[in-house]
Amino acid sequence: MEAESQGSAIIPFALPKGAEKFCELCQREARLQCSKCRVTFYCAAEHQQADWVGIHKRICQLLVPIRALTLRSLQQTSHTETQIKKAELIEICRLVAQSKLSEGKHQEALPAAQLCLRCSIDVHGPNTVQLVPAYLLLAEANMGLGNLDLVADFLSQAEWAVLKSPKCGLTIHHQLHRSLGRLHVATGDLETALHNFANDIYFATEEYGLDSTVTSRGYFLMADVFTKQGKMPTVRSLYSEVARIWHCHLTRLLETRKESIQNPPVDSFYDKAERVEVDEMLRTMLEFEQKDTRKDPARIAVVAHCLAMLSFLGGDFLKAQGFGSTALQASQLIPDHDLTEPIQALLQLVKILHTVPHPGSAESQY
Amino acid sequence: MTLASLSSFISGAFRVHLTRFTVTSSWLCLSVDLQAKMNTAVGFLPEININKSKQRRSTYYSRMKQTKESLRARLNPAGPAETLTRKEIALFRSSLKQSICVRLLQEGFHRSYSELVSLLQSDQDWRAMAEPGSLRILAPPLSEQKYKMETISQHLSLAEEAERTGIWSTVCEERLLLGRFFSDPEDLWLRFYFYHSCTDREKGRFSRAATEARACLTELYLDQGDLEEARQQGELCRKQAEDGGWLDSDGRSLKLRACRDLWKIYRELAEALLAAEDHKKALTLLHEGNRRAMESEDKQLKGEAAFQVGLANQRAGDHGTAKKFFNSSMEIFHSLDDTDGLVKAYKALAKSLKSEGYIEEVVACLEKLATMSRSSRLQHRLIDVALCLGNIYFSRSQYVRAGEYCLQGYEVACTTEDVAQLQRAQVLVASAHAHATIGKYGANLTSTSPAPLQRLLDWKVKRGREDLSVEEYYSPAWFKCAIV
Repeated sequence: MEAESQGSAIIPFALPKGAEKFCELCQREARLQCSKCRVTFYCAAEHQQADWVGIHKRICQLLVPIRALTLRSLQQTSHTETQIKKAELIEICRLVAQSKLSEGKHQEALPAAQLCLRCSIDVHGPNTVQLVPAYLLLAEANMGLGNLDLVADFLSQAEWAVLKSPKCGLTIHHQLHRSLGRLHVATGDLETALHNFANDIYFATEEYGLDSTVTSRGYFLMADVFTKQGKMPTVRSLYSEVARIWHCHLTRLLETRKESIQNPPVDSFYDKAERVEVDEMLRTMLEFEQKDTRKDPARIAVVAHCLAMLSFLGGDFLKAQGFGSTALQASQLIPDHDLTEPIQALLQLVKILHTVPHPGSAESQY
Repeated sequence: MTLASLSSFISGAFRVHLTRFTVTSSWLCLSVDLQAKMNTAVGFLPEININKSKQRRSTYYSRMKQTKESLRARLNPAGPAETLTRKEIALFRSSLKQSICVRLLQEGFHRSYSELVSLLQSDQDWRAMAEPGSLRILAPPLSEQKYKMETISQHLSLAEEAERTGIWSTVCEERLLLGRFFSDPEDLWLRFYFYHSCTDREKGRFSRAATEARACLTELYLDQGDLEEARQQGELCRKQAEDGGWLDSDGRSLKLRACRDLWKIYRELAEALLAAEDHKKALTLLHEGNRRAMESEDKQLKGEAAFQVGLANQRAGDHGTAKKFFNSSMEIFHSLDDTDGLVKAYKALAKSLKSEGYIEEVVACLEKLATMSRSSRLQHRLIDVALCLGNIYFSRSQYVRAGEYCLQGYEVACTTEDVAQLQRAQVLVASAHAHATIGKYGANLTSTSPAPLQRLLDWKVKRGREDLSVEEYYSPAWFKCAIV
């Protein structure tokens, strides 16, 4: 466990004349400063604590050369050095915020995202396209917290930046549209949400291809909107497409994993957060298929097989077995179904690894 | 104006009759309308310079507060008629490909979207690899041809809708329509693609539309010279059409259409084999083709098929069978009053008879042919027949009759200005007359009595005038002939 945050009161006379200090988080007048780096200020201990958990403990010392005013830092040569350090800082903030978000810790992601935005503005200037990732992070965090007004603000800023430089890259477009789509779903404007998701899928396809899992996420989000609109045939069709894409993807992953079964790689292909997300998505789909009046066993088999493979890759053999047998049951309802064999093979594999736990398999969870 | 009304307007225009002009003009009107709106629209973009006068130090939070208000107004416009919606703006900002793709996706037609994207991709890949100068590369890429893209997306989405509800026949109908829509030579690949997408699908491939697509594929492959593939498609099509008893989009029977195509295919296949002197295989194919022709209920085709089978038999040396087929083809041609066909068949029959040695029959046959040709003014055929008859009489030493026929042929040849035939006729006429003269007076030469000698002397004075009527003697033809 890392050390707790330590704050000390600001001594106004110790500061250069006229330099008022503001809180890192809320921009109000500051009364405390971080006693480690001495270049970060807070209005109250709560904010310091929040910032510490959010981002500061990762970057405390990094901030010193950037923020401290020394004679050296005023020289021309060190300017580029500082710029590089700032770029590094932006990247760190982005990654931290991203991982916090995928873990579902929206509140904790806020400080990192905010700092990311501020540094980006500092480096690239206001209303530039480089700010968009930071805006998107802020939007996503606020979406998790339910501050829709703020989300709308951030996304509009991002949209404006993108609008001004249309050639800013397909990924940015795709991410922006996805976030906008989710905002509109939250506000209930389903038609606009669909429009945004459609654009999201379009740009994702341009960047990653039709059969990419990134694109499939767009389909899933879209299916959600169609569910709200009650267009079940469309939802069914979209879900089957998502299941198909993931099935291909996971089968491929499983193949590579099988090849290295003796020596499973320590780091999984997916970090935990992403796996949780996919797991949730596939479960939703499985539930949908099972509740569906048609109850198509082929579809249930595909989705359950996906879940079994995902659990297997994540090292959760119990779950893999559960979903595997669901898939098997479904596929055996259809004579000569081409999935029966791979599912049985997977169950076999699970059995072997489950009874004789491989030393590496437990670590491979993450 | 909302996108909904816009798109319904467009699709309405499409449904009316896919008229290129209608669509373009409606787009023009719209663009003018939207341009006007754009000019009058107030506040659809955030006012960026509003807080320039304020201190830069104001944090982004407070700046955002101001933006927020303007954004709220934008998200929930007070007067919807005054501002453009996002979608309307997107129509102008994004590329054609994007706007069509987005529209498809937005309506939930993700399969159509994937298909369209793959098509565009394969077009692009093909262009990157293609040799310069081909017809397809000269045409603009598919992604720039608005009308075609719109049509594809329109029909694919209809097909997808039907697919969701499991109406497979409609799926195939829509795809067939697309295949038929692409008639330009540079869009051949699209025709192949859409027809195949009908015939190769798991569900619905036995529907009427899929069968028609098969018929179209048969013709396409036949045009391309891929006879084996054409044959496969054609046979499948015939079988499906027979089971279903369907008509094609123009109201013709699909089965008959398939049979007609199949006859063409078998004939072309057999021709290649005949050229390689593989008579046995060629005959099997032609018999197969003949069966299809018989099924086709097209008399002309039946006659032609029987004739061709006969011809192949003739080439293979089986004159008996050949005659049988010639006779049946003659019957059919006769019932059709097809003199051209009849003449053709008679001539082939005569050839077979001749090689079997039935000269009497040949002569009878050819004489019939000659009258027929004369009555229907088939001049070339008549020359041919006349010279042929001349030849036969010549070979049977009936020189006078040979001369008559050759002269007939010669006269007709004069009217057709066919120099090669004319010269042939001239030679034949001359040699027939020469032989006739020799035959007549040859005996006199060998005899030693005075009477024949006297006859020879008489002939010397008259020089063959008695052989021909006076008119013929003085006819210009005769003079020309005599010169040769």
